[in-house]
Amino acid sequence: MNVLLRTFVPRRFRFETQLALRHLLSGGGQTVLTVSAVAAGVIIVIFITSLIFGLQDRLTELLTDAIPHVTITVEEPEPRPLARITDGSELSSSRIEQQAPQLKFIDNWPHVVETVRALPNVRAVAPVVSGQAFVSKGANPIGTAVVGADPDLQNVITPVTKDLISGKYLGLRSDEIVIDAELAEDLDVTTGERIRVTSGTNASDSFTVAGIYSRGQGRGSAYVTLRTGQSLFGYGTSVNVVYVKLINIYEADSVADRIMALLPYEAKSWTREFPQFLSSLQVQTASAYLISAFSLIASGFAIAAVLIVSVLQKSKQIGILKSMGTRRRQILRVFILEGLGVAIVGSLLGLVVGVTIVLLLSLFDQPVTRIGQTPEQLFPVRILPFYLGLAMIAAIISTVVAAVLPARRAAKMNPVDVMR
Amino acid sequence: MTSASFITSDEETRMNKGLPPVVVETRSLRKTYFGKIDVPVLFGVDFRIRKEEFVAIVGQSGSGKSTLLNLLGALDTPTGGTVIINGVDISTLDEDELAYFRSDQVGFIFQFHYLLDEFSCLENALLPITIRHGDASEEDQARVIELLRRVGLGSRIHHRPEEMSGGENQRCAIVRALANAPKIVLADEPTGNLDSRSGQEVFRLMREMNRESGVAFVMITHDDRLAQAADRILLIEDGLVHEISKEEHRKRVASLVP
Ligand SMILES: Nc1ncnc2c1ncn2[C@@H]1O[C@H](COP(=O)(O)OP(=O)(O)O)[C@@H](O)[C@H]1O
Ligand SMILES: [Mg+2]
Repeated sequence: MNVLLRTFVPRRFRFETQLALRHLLSGGGQTVLTVSAVAAGVIIVIFITSLIFGLQDRLTELLTDAIPHVTITVEEPEPRPLARITDGSELSSSRIEQQAPQLKFIDNWPHVVETVRALPNVRAVAPVVSGQAFVSKGANPIGTAVVGADPDLQNVITPVTKDLISGKYLGLRSDEIVIDAELAEDLDVTTGERIRVTSGTNASDSFTVAGIYSRGQGRGSAYVTLRTGQSLFGYGTSVNVVYVKLINIYEADSVADRIMALLPYEAKSWTREFPQFLSSLQVQTASAYLISAFSLIASGFAIAAVLIVSVLQKSKQIGILKSMGTRRRQILRVFILEGLGVAIVGSLLGLVVGVTIVLLLSLFDQPVTRIGQTPEQLFPVRILPFYLGLAMIAAIISTVVAAVLPARRAAKMNPVDVMR
Repeated sequence: MTSASFITSDEETRMNKGLPPVVVETRSLRKTYFGKIDVPVLFGVDFRIRKEEFVAIVGQSGSGKSTLLNLLGALDTPTGGTVIINGVDISTLDEDELAYFRSDQVGFIFQFHYLLDEFSCLENALLPITIRHGDASEEDQARVIELLRRVGLGSRIHHRPEEMSGGENQRCAIVRALANAPKIVLADEPTGNLDSRSGQEVFRLMREMNRESGVAFVMITHDDRLAQAADRILLIEDGLVHEISKEEHRKRVASLVP
């Protein structure tokens, strides 16, 4: 101990450091109490942040996993003022009818794909034809959304393969289709059977059901190849939408802005489509911070109370030290250092215990509700090194601040008053 | 009974001739405790203590002995007058300088040893040095260990206060008071809490240290035999300090005992 002191502590602080250490080592219950208070604060912060931010990550992943992060479409034509249309000088109504479907085409999509792919943070870019169609087997046509896209790309944008109950999606042929389980049930078809698909442009074709998937959340789209989609909806070699999947979903807004700046198309980030989701995340984040702050403040008060008692108990000692020439600031340092010691040991202890609790919680699995579902964590906790560090630093600061008041009280003590 | 009063400069040179230097001097020292009721304790005290002297301070309980000692050690500030230690008027020193002064010039011994429970006997005795320098050099340690041997604590240097007897702890406190080689040791009833045998042993050691190193001792005591063994006796009575001879002291003691 003395060797450590001599190696690491500058000579002029050695007395204070040594006294603070001795106080802590011989402090018994008080030391245990203060160290536990710091540890408890850190544990609560680690627990709350890993739970809330873990939950947020899970929610965000669930949401963004199944949707494109940026959707590139042709700008919706501005609704024109009635006067303009009726005065007849500029446009005839027939021209509008002609114009509307044409504007939806992105005919130079290879250029769009190339440009977007060159942007940072982009994981996948998929040119897609998407539209509404009727699906039937015999009678009773049922409406559904149809997505025509290259399976390899589309599978990154809105994963299908991992939700397949039967059959396949990757390697889809031009006369094959993948539909969702609900539709399959309504049509009463299974993999390998044929169904008929009729688009709004009245193109109609027969497809073999290559796969059936279920996401467990309402009716999903039917998937065909890009070529098939193009001919089904009469797009020729064009598409009507380009989907983008990102590496970092929180960058979606800026990527969308970049795309808008580079290309004459509308690029919408997922966050613009789910603003209420984002604001609920913000509320959660704020509550996580609030709970963390309150628990650290509470532990700070506990520590201040214990330290004040310990200062009062040591008043005679402080008196004799002062009579021997100890300066105010030395006494101040002794008790601040004590706080620092408690803070360091307590926050390390809190770190170990907190991380252990979180790791143990992460071992629990959710009961499986769907067949074929891989079990998910019951508590979607996530250990975030940033918040571990933040918890420790915040705990150390609040403890040292809590030590200041008792330390000043000690430094002000007058030997004559305390030694009578 | 003679009162140590104003001394002319002629007298002063005559008195100083061949005498050791003055280490403590008070001039019209006054102290009143202000509070709900003001308590005037010292009304103007003048005396000198020289190097090598062992001075006993006697007086009734509540007469102001501790008050005087605290003023001499700069633990408290006077209401009026001055304390001059080793030629320095200590009222001119600021907080830091006072702390330095205390660690440099003064050693305290109290009725209770006030050793730190968390430190060993040696570490306690070294405190005045570690407080000032952060840690103690090899030479300091050797010197203090030697002192501890001298007071019979050679086998106790690594013991904690709770493992030692009252007398042993007080002897350790004596070594602590001497660790920084002060000019003066102020002892407030150092034997007051000890049985008479340990008390006498503690006194004998203080006297020995005083004779050997020449450090002046000012000791408050209620033990008349110890007062008799001092070089000088100062009596505090009615807020004033009177130098009394041993003869006078003996008479006063005899008159008090029926
Ligand atoms: N801090 C204080 N405030 C008020 N009165 C005090 C204080 N310290 C001492 N006194 C009073 O001053 C007088 C002298 O006290 P003290 O010097 O301790 O006496 P002694 O040491 O001779 O017994 C006593 O009447 C005591 O009550
Ligand atoms: Mg007293």
